[in-house]
Amino acid sequence: MAELSWVATAPLSHVLKPGHHGAETGGSGVAYTGLSDFALVQVMARRGKASALAKAAKAHFGVAAPLKPKAVAAGGSLLIWSGPDQFLALSPRDGLASPLASLAGPLAGAASLSDQSDARALIRIAGPRARDVLAKFCSLDLDASVFPVGTAAATSVDHTAVTLWRGEDTAGGAATFNLLVFTSFAESLWHMMLDAGAAYGIEVGEASYGV
Amino acid sequence: MRIACPYCGPRENGEFSYLGDATPVRPSLEQGVDAMLDYVFLRDNVAGEMQELWYHGGGCRAWLKVTRNTLTHEISAVEAARGAGAAKVGKR
Ligand SMILES: [Zn+2]
Repeated sequence: MAELSWVATAPLSHVLKPGHHGAETGGSGVAYTGLSDFALVQVMARRGKASALAKAAKAHFGVAAPLKPKAVAAGGSLLIWSGPDQFLALSPRDGLASPLASLAGPLAGAASLSDQSDARALIRIAGPRARDVLAKFCSLDLDASVFPVGTAAATSVDHTAVTLWRGEDTAGGAATFNLLVFTSFAESLWHMMLDAGAAYGIEVGEASYGV
Repeated sequence: MRIACPYCGPRENGEFSYLGDATPVRPSLEQGVDAMLDYVFLRDNVAGEMQELWYHGGGCRAWLKVTRNTLTHEISAVEAARGAGAAKVGKR
């Protein structure tokens, strides 16, 4: 029998080439960072259990889970609204431990949990031209007056469902947006993003989430 | 056309899929085969305001009940469709 071995690779590993891309003059208008080593759990209230989940989540995370399209910091986790009575819990990955292990007990009976850690790619878009890039492929109004830090959205980009939220501004005061996309769509989205940002100059990098 | 999702806010209609008339109610078995035929296949071709089911598949994945004028495309109300389906079998 042939030897079979599995090699774990990040979903963007074939296309993400760190360094400068696009326009050579004027520096980098945007930075794209592929983030890995995160744990991601989809939490959905069971039928009729929305208030039980709200209570259990508050007890476990110490803050209320978002009931509106927002991303809320909860200790080491970020709780991102993903639809009515559901949210995503994003945190740095803890080695080989199942991301479900710490949530299964506290949320038992109130919610169904699904491990999405290896099902999504996480891309951070930051820099002075971040909004200009996003305006090319995202139909939402991302102006600071209507999309402040901590705002989230479930939307479609390039015919692909994404979860988008605005993170803290960079040290230089530039806006930061985060994008979760299904892994099988990540490469095609990435190519489109490189085209969209080329005119501004792109600094491509990769990092571990939360480090 | 934009639809104001009660969960997400206003979104372009490319994020939504159309199902159709939101008003047919599944008949009970006692109402007979004609009532079921009507429910499954027959639809009015409304010229004016009607209630429709739309799915926000490119967003929050919720089903919505949309009141839309088919002549003007004006949307006068959007509400969550939750509980509007199987829970109301045989009832108006
Ligand atoms: Zn929605």
